[in-house]
Amino acid sequence: MAEDIKVIVFKLGTEEYGIEVDKVQTIERLMPITRVPKTYAFIKGVINLRGVVIPVIDLRGRFGLEEAEHTDQTRVIIVVVNEMEVGFIVDSANDVIDLNRESIDTPPEVVGGIKAKYLDGVAKIGEDRLLIMLNLSEVLNKNEIVQLESLEG
Amino acid sequence: MDMNQYLSMFIDESNDHLQSLNENMMGLEASPDDLSIVQVIFRSAHTLKGMAATMGFEDLASLTHQMENVLDLVRNGKLVMQEFIFDTLFKSLDALEAMVQDITAGGEGKADVTSIVASLQAIVRGEVPSAEGDTPSAAAPIEAETPALLDQFQFSVLEQSIQEGNQVLFIEVSLRKDCQLRAVRAYMVFELLERYGEVVKTFPPVQDIEQEKFDYSFSLYYITQKTAEEMQALIMGVSEIDKVTSLALDVESLSQLGQAAVAATAEAPASEPKRQDIPPPAPQATPATAPKEEAKKAPAKSGNAPSRTIRVDIDRLDVLMNLLSELLIDRVRLEQLASDIQSTELTETVEHMSRVSGDLQDIVMKLRMVPVDTVFNRFPRMIRDLAKSLDKKVDLIITGAETELDRTVVDEIGDPLVHLLRNALDHGVESVSDRIAAGKSETGTIHLRAFHSGNHVFIEIQDDGAGISREKVLKSAIKKGIVTAEQAAAMTDNEAHQLLFAAGFSTAEVISDISGRGVGLDVVKAKISSLGGNVTIYSTPGKGTNFSVQLPLTLSIIAAMLIRLGSEKYAIPLSSIVETGIVSRSQIRSVHGSKMVEFRGSHIPVVSLGAIFDVADYDESEEEETEIVVIRKGDKLAALTVQDFIGQNEIVIKNLGKYLPEIQGISGGTILGDGQVALIIDPNAFIK
Repeated sequence: MAEDIKVIVFKLGTEEYGIEVDKVQTIERLMPITRVPKTYAFIKGVINLRGVVIPVIDLRGRFGLEEAEHTDQTRVIIVVVNEMEVGFIVDSANDVIDLNRESIDTPPEVVGGIKAKYLDGVAKIGEDRLLIMLNLSEVLNKNEIVQLESLEG
Repeated sequence: MDMNQYLSMFIDESNDHLQSLNENMMGLEASPDDLSIVQVIFRSAHTLKGMAATMGFEDLASLTHQMENVLDLVRNGKLVMQEFIFDTLFKSLDALEAMVQDITAGGEGKADVTSIVASLQAIVRGEVPSAEGDTPSAAAPIEAETPALLDQFQFSVLEQSIQEGNQVLFIEVSLRKDCQLRAVRAYMVFELLERYGEVVKTFPPVQDIEQEKFDYSFSLYYITQKTAEEMQALIMGVSEIDKVTSLALDVESLSQLGQAAVAATAEAPASEPKRQDIPPPAPQATPATAPKEEAKKAPAKSGNAPSRTIRVDIDRLDVLMNLLSELLIDRVRLEQLASDIQSTELTETVEHMSRVSGDLQDIVMKLRMVPVDTVFNRFPRMIRDLAKSLDKKVDLIITGAETELDRTVVDEIGDPLVHLLRNALDHGVESVSDRIAAGKSETGTIHLRAFHSGNHVFIEIQDDGAGISREKVLKSAIKKGIVTAEQAAAMTDNEAHQLLFAAGFSTAEVISDISGRGVGLDVVKAKISSLGGNVTIYSTPGKGTNFSVQLPLTLSIIAAMLIRLGSEKYAIPLSSIVETGIVSRSQIRSVHGSKMVEFRGSHIPVVSLGAIFDVADYDESEEEETEIVVIRKGDKLAALTVQDFIGQNEIVIKNLGKYLPEIQGISGGTILGDGQVALIIDPNAFIK
């Protein structure tokens, strides 16, 4: 019997994604972002979160999806991974659910245009909802950014 | 009991005491007759011993104990300080320091100190006049000469016993060093004694003996019918007893002791002439609290009472700083709101709050500042030892030790300064014979100065030695391929001197272990640059050399010029701005494909910040006139073009988080009054 975990659910387009709640520091409404020049396009800049400067990345951009206009629903999820604080811009975030670890399956090669290595797995909730669990340390892997850079360059 | 929670306190306090020991020993060396300094040293050593024993660091305690013995003799005028004693005591201090460092690093504080202990004991033995009740004992020479004090009541009891025909014995028992349960052995001895007579008084007190608070020996006054020899034999019957001395007292010897007791009670406990290794029944509750009392008394006696302090984790100060900067942001918002609403009462309240938060900001900034003295205080000792090993005579004169710097800077500046000082002593100050030949006094002088100037603190190390030889420096630099012969010939003296900071440069002809190992001044320069500082050399041949280190007051708050590029705001550190101005576009010319502008008689490169940072909503090429900020790196200048100047501000430097890679031209971020983040420009990146 595997344990239950709490998961924050957010949306990019129509897909639903999940991040374990203990990796999430806070969820904020979109706030003014200061652009940081000479860096990757998906790094939107830095924000002031109660006195701490935190870089913000557009998760759509990070996964190579088309970037969307920000709306009222747009949220910034601040996550802490490997002592790095980073904000993710997502289309919306409005749910916390309990999930049994056993219900998470190994992901197929590509889900919703996102490569499998960014994913921990896919969980089926209820009858027709699929939740894509993110592998945060891979999403924030700096070495890979360098590779991306060299490909683009 | 879990000692870990006390360990950090122990380490901090030990370091304080070691530092004070070092300082006072230096002071004593300068005026060996000043017995008040000996008192202070004695108390520091005593406190250290007490703490070490409480924490269970036996080696540390035993070494301090031996030092105390020597100091006690000096204090009581039985021993005159001389160079050998000083050297031995300094060596002991070094050993203590090494032990404390070992403890700091998680070790057990164990060290082989037998040779130092032996020489300390030799000093004690060599000069000790035999005290009453003294029986030379190799195992515990100190305890043996401990005259135990009797109060009036005990004295009269003993006197009466003698008159009634009983034997009054002074018995001293030493346990074997390998004795495991000392308290138990002591108990067995007492049990034996109670059978044949009455124990009047013990040293240390019975409670301490029961709690094993004694080294390996204890002494007592005892009333019995048996003779001294009989008792001695009986006690020796108990196992693990090393040695028993038993001395029969008559009325006369007793009355001598009694007088000593009266004399002692007449004086204040602090100036008690008797030794205090084993606490006599003075008003000292436990060894743990007694040293603290003494520690407080000691500085007061020497006349420079330190201000009362508490120790705070630097992380907490950082948190406080963060909270404060948020408060400042809210203050700006409130001020804006108040001016919009135009209510007198609100405006007054906000103004008051502004003043209070301004004061608060000052205090928080000051909390992070520590006097450079915390670095400087170890130098006199270092210079003394160095001068001795180099056989040079030198005075170190420190001025401005009270100058304050940010804690983070102070923590980092120690090693570079050590290097510069060693350098000054090794390469700067000449040997005694050379100095006399040059017509100088045989004692050289090294000035170590610290002072404020503007937003910087300067630390200067100036010697009155031979100065830097231009020829030697250039020859060495050419040989090492740092400059070519042609370049060298064209250099001014000053430029030649700065070559000392070039990587892989060392002029010492003989490599000594003091300095000149090739990893020299270039490392010093790199370290100082990394702190946002600068170091320059001024030297006059024959007169001496001056190393001037310029440091920022703080690493966390700087004065900056805020500028606007389109909708974006940036901050440029004021320390690298030469001046600001407006030039018309026609003044910017293209030279070899790069843009230059004339500035005060010379042409300097023009860098367009808007273009470099790809600012979307700002294009300066259409402007007739453009604002420029002239920045400097070393003696090179460049002009940055900007859209607008916003103004000058004190800004709190924040890093941009670990996720972002290094960005060329950006050194960090800061939070502005409106809560937005502005990036801080690193001007050094724009000048090659």
